[in-house]
Amino acid sequence: MPQITTNWSGVITNPERKQSYIRSVREIDKNIGSFLSFNPDLPGSDTTVKGALGGMPIAVKDNIAVTGHPLTCGSRILENLVAPYTATAVQRLEDAGAVVVGKTNLDEFGMGSSNENSALGTTVNPWNNDRVPGGSSGGSAAAVAAGLVPLALGSDTGGSVRQPANFCGVYGLKPTYGSVSRFGLTAYASSLEVIGTLTRDIDLMETAFGIMSGIDENDQSSVSYEDSVVPGSDISSVVMLSVGNDMLDDPVARAYMETGEALRAAGYSVTEISLPSLDLVVPAYYTIATAEASANLARFNGIRYGYAPDFAENPADLMKKARHEGFGREVKLRILLGTYVLRSGFQDQYYGRAQKIRTLIRKELESVFSSADLLLMPVFPTQAFLKGDSEMDDFKQRLADVFTCLANLSGLPALSLPIGVENGLPTGVQFMAPSFGEQRLFKVARNLKDTFPLQTPPNYLDIGSLV
Amino acid sequence: MKAHDKYDVFIGLEIHIHLNTESKMFCSCKAHYGDDPNKNVCPVCLGYPGTLPLLNGKAMELGYLVAKSLGCKTAIKTSFSRKNYFYPDMPKNYQISQFEEPVGVDGLVEADFGLSERRKIRIHDVHLEEDAGKMIHAGDITLLDYNRAGYPLLEIVTEPDLRSGEETESFLRDFQRLVRYLGVSDANMDEGSMKCDANVSLNHPGKGLGTKVELKNMNSPRFVRQALNYEIARHAGILDTGGSLVQETRLWNENRDITEVMRRKEAADDYRYFPEPDMPSFVPDKAFLARVEAGMVELPLEKKRRLKAEYSLTSEQAEFIHDEAATAVFFEESVKAGADAQNAASWLSSDIRKLLNRSSLTLEESPLDARRFATLLGLIKEGQISGKIAKKVLGKIFSDNLDPRDIVTKEGWFQISNPEELEVIVKKVMMENPDVVSAVKAGDIRQKGFLMGQVMRISDGKAAPELSGSILDELLGNST
Repeated sequence: MPQITTNWSGVITNPERKQSYIRSVREIDKNIGSFLSFNPDLPGSDTTVKGALGGMPIAVKDNIAVTGHPLTCGSRILENLVAPYTATAVQRLEDAGAVVVGKTNLDEFGMGSSNENSALGTTVNPWNNDRVPGGSSGGSAAAVAAGLVPLALGSDTGGSVRQPANFCGVYGLKPTYGSVSRFGLTAYASSLEVIGTLTRDIDLMETAFGIMSGIDENDQSSVSYEDSVVPGSDISSVVMLSVGNDMLDDPVARAYMETGEALRAAGYSVTEISLPSLDLVVPAYYTIATAEASANLARFNGIRYGYAPDFAENPADLMKKARHEGFGREVKLRILLGTYVLRSGFQDQYYGRAQKIRTLIRKELESVFSSADLLLMPVFPTQAFLKGDSEMDDFKQRLADVFTCLANLSGLPALSLPIGVENGLPTGVQFMAPSFGEQRLFKVARNLKDTFPLQTPPNYLDIGSLV
Repeated sequence: MKAHDKYDVFIGLEIHIHLNTESKMFCSCKAHYGDDPNKNVCPVCLGYPGTLPLLNGKAMELGYLVAKSLGCKTAIKTSFSRKNYFYPDMPKNYQISQFEEPVGVDGLVEADFGLSERRKIRIHDVHLEEDAGKMIHAGDITLLDYNRAGYPLLEIVTEPDLRSGEETESFLRDFQRLVRYLGVSDANMDEGSMKCDANVSLNHPGKGLGTKVELKNMNSPRFVRQALNYEIARHAGILDTGGSLVQETRLWNENRDITEVMRRKEAADDYRYFPEPDMPSFVPDKAFLARVEAGMVELPLEKKRRLKAEYSLTSEQAEFIHDEAATAVFFEESVKAGADAQNAASWLSSDIRKLLNRSSLTLEESPLDARRFATLLGLIKEGQISGKIAKKVLGKIFSDNLDPRDIVTKEGWFQISNPEELEVIVKKVMMENPDVVSAVKAGDIRQKGFLMGQVMRISDGKAAPELSGSILDELLGNST
């Protein structure tokens, strides 16, 4: 069993320490803006459970349902929605004693990699408040990096857990598709996404994953983890994706090379490979993601819940106005794209072709893992970029998803981990494993922990030392 | 000249039935009619964010059962797609429906169009889907009831193999009977548990399909016939004058007995189908297929044919008895219990039917069971009671819930068949009616009926008719 080193004793259960905790979080988060709602006292949080996570405050991305908490998805259209039920993954953590203290900011419906697409708040990077925390789980990453919670949930559709984790200097896990129930996760691209975890403690990550994973009768795409697990023992060979010189910023490239060297020094065999289909990953990803999004987001129409205009001529007019006024620009763009690629007569050209690319990529990765235990890759070409369009416009951001969305197209698990800090900003890498090979990811991260110790940003809240 | 003599007529159907399941298609809400609005709803069928569909295994089973009964190739693997379109009563604004891999395809059903013709109708496919909610417009506002949202629906699509309103009505009635036999649906068109849209086209002989018109809003098989015949005549009229049809959707107006334009199709609807990512494909296992097999019953047309042959029934009798599965079962059980098939058939279709209608009971609910019925018919056959008395006994079975023999005993209704007893009665009648007796003797044979009537009256209908008749004859002859 992993030994969790995080100390959260009494943060929720001791009334004085709790008050001190709440004060500190409010104070620090004024600058960072990681929470869209912070409700540590909501009825229903049972602080008496003595499980593995007894009394641990956790944060949940605001596209995952927790009874009584808002479920805004960072969107105007769901600004007033309160969740009537709890996601399976959250329920399992609560059953193990975790207490949801708040819901974190995100790019609207998970669409973005900067958190700047949130309609409801601005989150900044705790390491440098002029920079973005990444996205779309930027609020969760920032909250964990700043020490506000030891553990946060995010969702990873194309890198939405790993990229903000990378930008904020924390661990971020995208589990195998189907290993964690999606029940309660607001769907953006159903066939690609999964609930993931962000934390500074790799042992806590493994424990939390163990609690959350497994078949769920409410999600027919979930699978039994025990029946499929790939053991973490005896990993020896790592392949590194060969990446062109111009693809990565220098600090990112350096961290990547250093990781390879550290692995060699630790006795792993490390070789380079290339993936012939890598160039097709981003177009295929956006075709599938937007197609599914165009259907998934159709339900938001102002009738049963969420934003409704003050006046409408008739039901059709109501739907039109609610969607026109309720959705942000990026969301509308992706719905339009998805509608376009699914048109009858054009499916072979777009959606069908993207599915073929997906199959091709799966096969390429299968062959990689037939001879290697792990695949090492960069997470994102840059460190956390500046707010606004000055460094990364929307189009560049999408191209930069290439390293992360590979795991989503293939369904494979991937873990991003911090390597160091350069220019006051974290750097990191990610490992990918075969399906259900999360144990390998935890193991390699643990092996690198002492070589690349985690660092803390300014104003870090050490909840273990609260009085 | 009639339309059919001049043109080929092509009619195809899209039939929707609500499946008889406890719960909805993709959640555990009750699938139940008549409850207060928005009572049977949950986050899943209301389309709340983050919810996922869970397949109702029973609905899948019923889908396979119908597909099999319609002679379809049933799917080795079946899956769902999303059919995307916006409608205020559809919670997700897409319908989960089977598209690429339905439960059954390429079916073939024999249709019995009476004596004239027996033909095969091809079934394009049978697929499962979910129903939408209901909109109620009330003045300035629109109300929504989602009780029906997520109800399991089965859609049956035929090829354009039907040729007239009459054929189509008969096909629909056979279809209703079929799904009721299987117990998969109530299939009531007026209550909304079955819906039927029709498409119809006419063309010059041998030219293939013509311009298609879709018909909706027909709330009974009879209206389907009327709407189709109206359309066939309308099309023929246009073609006769060299005109051409417009592809459109029309509604049947049952108050005016005409069809009216609902919308013209400028472009085909684009539903942007794609595979439902929230649900894995369904591959039936052995246990599932065994359950489907166990659900198969003798189908109505087979049953009708067999009943007719096995019990030498007339077409009308067979038609009546096979109409409801319960009647057929009752009939066969009665025969097994000793009833004469011909008698049983005629009693079922006349007196029993009348009593059931009057008491608004079904055969299964009524106090009459096959054993009692066989006993009753046996009493007539053995000459213990007359047909007339039997009717009274039947009434008593319904009102008092007793066995026929007990009723007859209690009421003293056994037939008088002792010759001496009868002779006393006959003599009494003759004595009381000397004029009539003289008239008969003088050759007015017709008046003998009057005397027989008196015998029956005096005996409270219990006198054995044949024996009484011959005694009367004998006494009339003797006294001459």
